[in-house]
Amino acid sequence: MIDWSIAVPSFLTALVEWVEAFTIVLAVSLTIGWRGAIGASLAGLATLAAMTLIAGRVLATGIDIGWVQFVVGVFLMLFGVRWLAKAMARYAGLKALHDEALAYEQTRAKLTGDWIAGWTIAYKGVLLEGLEVWLIVVALGMRATSGMGMVSSAGAAIAALLLTCAAGAAVRAPLRQVPENAIKFIVGAMIVGFGTYWTMEGIGGPEVWPLSDWTLAILGAFYLLAGLAIATVLRLRMRREEVV
Amino acid sequence: MAPFLKTLFSDVRNIAVVAVLLAIEIVLVHTGYGREATIVVPLATMAGVTWLAPR
Repeated sequence: MIDWSIAVPSFLTALVEWVEAFTIVLAVSLTIGWRGAIGASLAGLATLAAMTLIAGRVLATGIDIGWVQFVVGVFLMLFGVRWLAKAMARYAGLKALHDEALAYEQTRAKLTGDWIAGWTIAYKGVLLEGLEVWLIVVALGMRATSGMGMVSSAGAAIAALLLTCAAGAAVRAPLRQVPENAIKFIVGAMIVGFGTYWTMEGIGGPEVWPLSDWTLAILGAFYLLAGLAIATVLRLRMRREEVV
Repeated sequence: MAPFLKTLFSDVRNIAVVAVLLAIEIVLVHTGYGREATIVVPLATMAGVTWLAPR
C-alpha cells in the first residue's frame, strides 16, 4: 500500500527538480543532439540510482535509528529552511521568480559547441538537480515503518520523472507552466516539518512529540500558514516602500 | 565539488540558522524542557526562515 504522506512530498520535490533538469538537458540537446543529451541524463540518473542503493544498504546495516533520524533531519532542515525562505522571498517580490526560459538561455550561452563540455553540463545538471530528489527520497523513504516507505518515495520520484519527460517531449520547450514557487512553498513547509520532527525525535526520543505522527501535519500546516502570512506582510511592506 | 556541496549545505547563513535551531533543540530537550521545545522550536524556525528570506 502506498504511503501518501511520503509519496506526495517526494513527488512534488522531484517534479520541481526534474523540470529544472529538463531545461538544462533541452538546451544541451540543441548543441550535442538528443542522443548525447539523453545519454548524459541517463548517466546522471544511473549515478543517483547507485547512490540510492548504497544509502539503502548502509541504512540496513543496523545503525542506531536515532542517529540516522537526527542526521537525515539536519539535512531536511538545511533543505527545507532554504526552500521555504526562497519561496517566501519570491512570493513577497524580494527575489525574481525562477524563470525556466531564462535558465534555458543561460545554459545555451554556456555551450560552446564542444560535445564533451555539453555532455558534462547535462550530466551535472541532472546529477545536481537530482541530488535533492535523492536526499528527499532516502530521507522520507526510511521514515515509514511499513516497509513501503522507500517504494512510495522512489516510486513518486520516478512518476514525477516520467511526467516531466512526457510533458517535455510533448512541448519541446522549457516547462514554464509548472507553478514552481507554489510547489516549493508547500514542499519547503512540509520538509521543514519533517526536519523539525526528526531532529527533535533524534535528540529526545519519540516521547518528545506527544501527538506522535499527527505532529507532522500540524508542523507542516504551521510552517505553510506562518510562511504565507509573513510573506504577505513582506509583500505589502515592499509595495508601500515602492509607493513612497 | 563546490556545486555539489552547495546543493547539500547551501550557504553559511543557512547553515548558521540550522545550527542555532539545533542548539535550541539540544539545550531545551536536555534540560528537561522538551514540551516547551515543541512550541519554541517551530517559532524559532519561522524566525530563522524570515531572517533568511530577504538575504
